[in-house]
Amino acid sequence: MRRYLLARLAQTVLVVFLSLTAVFGMVRLTGDPVLLFMPMDIQAKDVNEFRERLGFNDPLAVQYARFLGNAVRGDFGESLRYRRDALGLVLERLPATLLLAGCALALTLVIAVPLGVVSAVRRDSVFDHVSTVVTVLGQATPGFWLGLMLIYIFAVQLRWLPTGGVGTAAHLVMPAVVLAAFYAARVARLTRSAVLDTLGEDYVLTARAKGLAETRVIGKHTLRNSAIPIITLAGLEAGQLLGGAVVTETIFAWPGLGRLTVQALLNRDFPVVMAAVSFTSIVYTLTNLLVDLAYGWLDPRVRKA
Amino acid sequence: MKAWLGIVLTVSIVLAAAGAPWIATHDPIQADFASGLRPPGTPGHPLGTDQLGRDLLARVLHGARLALFIGVCTVVVTAVAGGLLGLVAGFVERWPSTVLMRIADVQLSFPFILLALTINAIVGLGLRNIILSLSAAGWVVYARVVRGEVLAVKQRDYVHAAAALGVGRARLLFRHVLPNVAPSIVVVASLQFSQFIVAEAAISFLGFGVQPPTPAWGSMLSESRDFLYVAWWLAAFPGLALALTALGVNLLGDWLRDTFDPKLRV
Amino acid sequence: MRALRLLVVVLVMSTVGVSATSAQDRTRTKEIVVGFGAEPRTMLGVTIVDWTTNNMLEHIYDRLLDRDPKTLKPKPMLATGWKLVNDTTWEFTLRKGVKFHNGEPFDAQSIKATFEYMLDPANKSHYATPAYWKPLKEVQVVDPYTVRLVTDKPYPSVIDHASLTDLLVLPAKALKELGPQKLADKPIGTGPFKFVEWRRDDRLVVERNPDYWAGPADVSRVTFRFIPEFSARMAALLSGEIDIMKDVPPHAVDTVERSGRAKIRSTVSSRINYLALVNLKPGPMQDVRVRRAMNHAVNVDELITQVLRGNATKMCGPLAPANVDFAQVECYKHDPVRAQALFKEAGVDPKTLALTLDTPSGRYPLDKDVSLAIAAQLQRLGIKTNVVVNEWGTHLDKIKNRNTGDMFFLGWGPALHGQGTIEPLFKADATYSSYGNNKLLDEKIAKAVTVVDAKARAAAYTELQKLVRDEAPWVFLWQQHDLYGVASHVEWSPRPDEKVWMYEAKIVPR
Repeated sequence: MRRYLLARLAQTVLVVFLSLTAVFGMVRLTGDPVLLFMPMDIQAKDVNEFRERLGFNDPLAVQYARFLGNAVRGDFGESLRYRRDALGLVLERLPATLLLAGCALALTLVIAVPLGVVSAVRRDSVFDHVSTVVTVLGQATPGFWLGLMLIYIFAVQLRWLPTGGVGTAAHLVMPAVVLAAFYAARVARLTRSAVLDTLGEDYVLTARAKGLAETRVIGKHTLRNSAIPIITLAGLEAGQLLGGAVVTETIFAWPGLGRLTVQALLNRDFPVVMAAVSFTSIVYTLTNLLVDLAYGWLDPRVRKA
Repeated sequence: MKAWLGIVLTVSIVLAAAGAPWIATHDPIQADFASGLRPPGTPGHPLGTDQLGRDLLARVLHGARLALFIGVCTVVVTAVAGGLLGLVAGFVERWPSTVLMRIADVQLSFPFILLALTINAIVGLGLRNIILSLSAAGWVVYARVVRGEVLAVKQRDYVHAAAALGVGRARLLFRHVLPNVAPSIVVVASLQFSQFIVAEAAISFLGFGVQPPTPAWGSMLSESRDFLYVAWWLAAFPGLALALTALGVNLLGDWLRDTFDPKLRV
Repeated sequence: MRALRLLVVVLVMSTVGVSATSAQDRTRTKEIVVGFGAEPRTMLGVTIVDWTTNNMLEHIYDRLLDRDPKTLKPKPMLATGWKLVNDTTWEFTLRKGVKFHNGEPFDAQSIKATFEYMLDPANKSHYATPAYWKPLKEVQVVDPYTVRLVTDKPYPSVIDHASLTDLLVLPAKALKELGPQKLADKPIGTGPFKFVEWRRDDRLVVERNPDYWAGPADVSRVTFRFIPEFSARMAALLSGEIDIMKDVPPHAVDTVERSGRAKIRSTVSSRINYLALVNLKPGPMQDVRVRRAMNHAVNVDELITQVLRGNATKMCGPLAPANVDFAQVECYKHDPVRAQALFKEAGVDPKTLALTLDTPSGRYPLDKDVSLAIAAQLQRLGIKTNVVVNEWGTHLDKIKNRNTGDMFFLGWGPALHGQGTIEPLFKADATYSSYGNNKLLDEKIAKAVTVVDAKARAAAYTELQKLVRDEAPWVFLWQQHDLYGVASHVEWSPRPDEKVWMYEAKIVPR
């Protein structure tokens, strides 16, 4: 077990490293960083001078080596746009991002898993049909559209909630709901599918034949075995949520990591992009590690010794 | 019952897409500045017009073609690529599995918009960008889910039994494992189809949509944001079309899954 | 069960916190909330050229000179008088009795320290470039309230720069003791508002400076909220969460007016939009007759009435009336017959002409829609136009690398003085120019930017504008109209230089 853990951790480091290299290259493909944070009346030679001073005229290999050397020490340079420490900007966004991600994930699991289980158990009932339609609609609705509709109804017309920003628990409601709507739909459908699979298995028939209470059948025997695809998806989504939900954060003016990353990309603010991606990369691979370990715990047959 | 609804919806959308030029009398890209932002029910424009005076019904119907095209292309590419990779990774395990999972991790750990921006730098904005970006992002889901399923199925008794009987590995994979994993692929595919169409909306929101004046539901929805309080129909009808298509395809996927999975015909 | 009830109570109570700063409360306490789409990049003046940043900084810092909101002519601010001592020296008399927010007195040393900070290459200020303050050679402190700016060649734009955010005055002592990094987070200025807090990506809060030399502001507290999504901003205006919003599109005017909470205030902006006809690479646009034909072919009036709903002021030359160096030139009339004749003369058949038009999307009011409309208009003459929509960064990249199609859509502004508009846009080596290699024009530009005498300067720029108009490097379009949504209880008039300056705002109880 320990060997497995160490091997996986080593792989995590490799993944982060590869990810950074890939992003380093991709981001430079997207265009000239210097243009976008210079005023429009700048002259060509001044642009060059700035580029020179910031090290963008050096050969790519040199830039890459310099970047890696600094990144290992946690120094991602200064944001081209804001003139502040790039990593600092990323870390500033963490509390808000974690708050929103946590709420959305909790909401998702609380709604989706029971919904999926009940739909599977009461297959082809009215409940099942209605929940199918609802979950499909939950995924067919683009997040921004849902968000704007909610803002219009609850903020403009009813005035129950604020249109956006941070501050009170009320500011959290709509963004979390919009995020959860999409993910909950997915998790619910996959839960239903996975539970249905398991319900057909022999051990379930056996458990029923033994006279076990239905809830015990579902809770202990079914759920644990159908957990794998559910957890895969939940794990994928947690990772993505933590990377920041760009669309939701933009609509609701939520000061999170997703918004920062997108703006940095659109503004070609390389240092901030690299810092943000490093962060999400590490978080994401660690989450996956946890998910894989959870596999092993839930299904001993899958455990890698 | 659900199956009927699914089939009916899907077929309707396909027919609407095919018959678009005949059902709608206007050209979807013909601008007519003088009749911009007309509400539904205006003579000649049953669904109204957009800000440049283009007929909304025509744009929604032609948008169906694009939606189906995007959906089919991306699903085929991602299912084949991702599914195969996941299958192999789950079945063979050891290093192919590890390599694949790490590559997937690498890709998933950087933000989707970076992919879109990079592709944008290479091919510019437009349909190719959308399909490439969505495919690049979408294969991973298949790979991971399929691999997970394969790992589980592999451990099942009938697979062990077949292996003990001396069935060859390839046969094991394609005769015994694949059929049991297939329902998941189908369900995921039906989920993904509608999701890709919806994702086109998100891509347009970020600024990487199709080139105007091409009518695509996603970019129509994205543009409708600016007119939300002024012309509700610009968001309502493309949104409705999107929702109905997603519903139809998903129900169809459910029915297919139920047909393919004999265990459930209890 | 009890825990659940408690949870519900807590949730409800925290929800109530929302209505704390409703519009009625704000009228009582004289607070104002402004909604912007972007956030500032720094709190330190004279560092970064960015409209959003500087607009907010103007609440905290003062300039040497101000501009009259209507005529846009320079007015005293921290300097009470100015005169030209010789061709390369300007002398400013400074206002007495002004204090910075930390108590430090304002005098000539502040000016000197500001320039020292700005021109130090280590600080990488955008203002140290030739378009701004690079020609400044020396700052002479004659006495505590008199300062001289010496340039290395005649530089008439000194007055223009001194009256814009190109010279926000920093505190000398604080700069030395705290250093630029600290001031970039907690700024100190002499302005009508003091810094309170800045929560990145969320809000900037400033409060009234009771000791402001020109009298305290009517508004007691200003909160700038950053809401990137346009419709969310609109929702915030309609729900009363924000009081002022910029860039309301023409089609939303009715909605705002009918809401009962806010009204539309509009002004003609100094920002201009134009369709550049690229002559910097081989193509049909290299022939001046083709360019003139394009000006006759596009119906600018129709674009203004139909697409922008009347919210633009037509321009006939490169400078707009809001520009201090503006001179009237003859307009190109919409005349398809004349256009056809010119095309024929140039040997071009419009029916076989295929052009490419690059445009951004959402950067300027209805930029994409205008581009599509222009393409439709050209279609009437048989010209096929392929409109290519670019992401903003890509658009700039393409223009700089001369990689666009035959035409591109762009805006420029605030375009308040001639040099700032003509020099960067009509010379072949300028970054975002679409036109160049005209020796006569280059000579005239080089001469005009050094003319200091007011009358001679006016004559030089008039000649330049006529020349540019005849060369038709653009299809001349218009000056934007800025439409602002302003809450009914706020009295504030928009300015043509796009400044949203809350010192001028008054809260009027209803």
